[in-house]
Amino acid sequence: MRTAIRGIGVVGGFGTGVEALRGAVAGGRAVTSSSPETAGGSRETRRADTAALEAFVDRRALRRMDHISRLAILGACLALRDAGIDRPDERTGVALATGYGPTGTTFGFLDSFIDGGDPCSSPTLFSSSVHNAPAANLASVLGVTGPNLTVSQFEVSASSALFTALLWLDAGRVDRVLVGGVDEYGEVLGYCWERFFGAADASGCRPLDTRRQTALPGEGCAFLLLERTTGVPGGVGVIESVQMGRVGATAPQIPSDRLLILGADGHRRCAGGYLQLVPPGSVVTSFGHLWGSFPTATAFDAAAGAVLLQSGKTFAPPPGLEGSGPWRVPAAGEPLPAAGIGLLRVSSGGEYALTLMSLA
Amino acid sequence: MTPAAPVAVTGIGCICAAGGDLDAAMAALAAGSRAPHPPTRFDTGHPTRYPVFEIPAGFVPQDILDKHDLFLTTRFALAATRMSLADAGWDAPALRRLRVGVCLGTTVGCSMDIEGFYRQYRSGAHPGLETIERFLRSNPAAVVSRELGLDGPVQTVVNACSSGTDAIGIAASWIRAGACDVALAGGADELCRIIYNGFISLMITDEQPCRPFDRGRRGLNLGEGAAVLVLEGPAFAKARGARTRARVLGYGSACDAHHLTAPHPQGRGLRRAFAEALAAAGVAPPDVAFINAHGTGTPDNDRVEGQVLHDLFPHTPFVSTKGYTGHTLGAAGAIEAAFTVACLEAGSIPAGVGFAEADPDIPGAPPVAHLAVRGNVAISDSLAFGGNNAVLVFGCPEP
Repeated sequence: MRTAIRGIGVVGGFGTGVEALRGAVAGGRAVTSSSPETAGGSRETRRADTAALEAFVDRRALRRMDHISRLAILGACLALRDAGIDRPDERTGVALATGYGPTGTTFGFLDSFIDGGDPCSSPTLFSSSVHNAPAANLASVLGVTGPNLTVSQFEVSASSALFTALLWLDAGRVDRVLVGGVDEYGEVLGYCWERFFGAADASGCRPLDTRRQTALPGEGCAFLLLERTTGVPGGVGVIESVQMGRVGATAPQIPSDRLLILGADGHRRCAGGYLQLVPPGSVVTSFGHLWGSFPTATAFDAAAGAVLLQSGKTFAPPPGLEGSGPWRVPAAGEPLPAAGIGLLRVSSGGEYALTLMSLA
Repeated sequence: MTPAAPVAVTGIGCICAAGGDLDAAMAALAAGSRAPHPPTRFDTGHPTRYPVFEIPAGFVPQDILDKHDLFLTTRFALAATRMSLADAGWDAPALRRLRVGVCLGTTVGCSMDIEGFYRQYRSGAHPGLETIERFLRSNPAAVVSRELGLDGPVQTVVNACSSGTDAIGIAASWIRAGACDVALAGGADELCRIIYNGFISLMITDEQPCRPFDRGRRGLNLGEGAAVLVLEGPAFAKARGARTRARVLGYGSACDAHHLTAPHPQGRGLRRAFAEALAAAGVAPPDVAFINAHGTGTPDNDRVEGQVLHDLFPHTPFVSTKGYTGHTLGAAGAIEAAFTVACLEAGSIPAGVGFAEADPDIPGAPPVAHLAVRGNVAISDSLAFGGNNAVLVFGCPEP
């Protein structure tokens, strides 16, 4: 049994859809916006626009939908369209990761009773503030009645959701899974970001810089539509496995014959974890500068990995990656290693996740 | 569908308002005792002081209670984990030599419910980040794994009120797949002002102690707690001489895809979750000795769930234990799984506390007195916000 990638759905700071992703990855271009002025100031961000959702879903169905649910629904719609599927069948499941959940709605709910007193708490905002609201709204709008899972594990959230999605497919619980990650940016997070990290480094995001904090906040949603297959997988490739563990315990078996997409995103503290884990001589790249930093960005790395598998070649590395460690950064256009790709994500809490992808 | 391989439950830890451990809680259930009261850890501006089921501070070991840099939810999870490992005969050094996964459900434990910080922020002050750092440190599965120095998959399930049930079902699949040798699975949640306000705003909170399945039920009472089950492959457990308390035979889950807070009127997702769990377990409805129902005491939940239980299990007794614990949200499925195993061991189920008068809209009712049950198989089910439904099938150990 294989787990084939049938569709890719992405909406992030680089744009909407797999073509936008392909363009961003190939060109190394980031689309930037500026966060609103907060108590902590403003900074460059990677924001996602959900306007394209109205091409898929009746506006009335979206009337009370908050930003994070719109992101999730749009990501899922795009993945289904990419796979050529109009409506998911009853053998489809959803496994969605989120690091912070619907923060905007959570703070909206707090506003409702801070402004009006406890008896004025908003039931609508409360019910939409739970972490699984985006997955539930997605299921409701698209009619997905299979297993529906939301996980929250900060930086390894998306890997953790993928880990369980693979087991669902392997056990035959479902034939297809929409698996992905979603997180949103907002004013309060912007304030926290400023307080934690201070002013942004003017040099832009340098993913593996251990001396400077160069991460830029981002948001978005990325889904893969995975499918059980007994035949030869189609053109997008397969997910082979997900390995999770703790840095410093059993060492992960990081392959030396694959291109490693590192989840490094300019957080100084996390960069050290990659330096500790990635063997010297490995071939590495990263794309975090394109969609920014947020807990479930690994879902975007997986989508980028699928795009690379489709193209068969590597693309432009991010600025500052060359020389950041004892490894090799491939040149743009270099053929992808035959063995495929590994996605490595290290969390600030010391967990790691390694996902292996290949063409067959 | 081919039945799934059973997974051994070798240890259980549980903490809730009914008791500081599983034995104490089961004694409270046997005695029919409960003592909900208005919240003491926070104030509210509601004209009615809705009762809750709080855990007394004395139930939590002091060294864990003193970890003030963690959410109370996470401290409950640590307390339940410690009990479960003692029950299973494991210690941390031995576990560090294995692949050990941690899969825990929660709601509050992952939510940025940081009212004090947010009030300051709104007022134009520049609040410090201590509350945010505490939130970032408190992910329940990560903390349990980190505190014990474990190496293996970690997953915090945030499927609202079915989280604990889902976490156990998912962790059992990890064991079956060989993804880890041992899995710590369950759920944890704490009472908090924000959730309290939220449920009151939905008008599904009872001013009185809750009355699951009763004609006069008015809603739920919130509670808090945690339960953790130690799961292992049967051969692995046998090889180390562990006592198997029960077996996870099956798990199923499905989504209503209907409404954020209301169950599907015909229980569409719940029926499907039952069907999947029974098929995975390889058992038929008549094989089921009893069901520990979700039974929140809300009019909608109990009506839909009661109808589904009657349709699928017309001769099987069911009970809701939320009358003893309150609705502990992400912990509920885990606590109820622990009770289900304990009831299987005891061969009896408690009276449905709070239930007095049958509802003509619900075919079937919980027992009004302690009820002896016969059989080797029992079920615990959960419904949740988002239309999630999850079902666990437990069996007695093999003779």
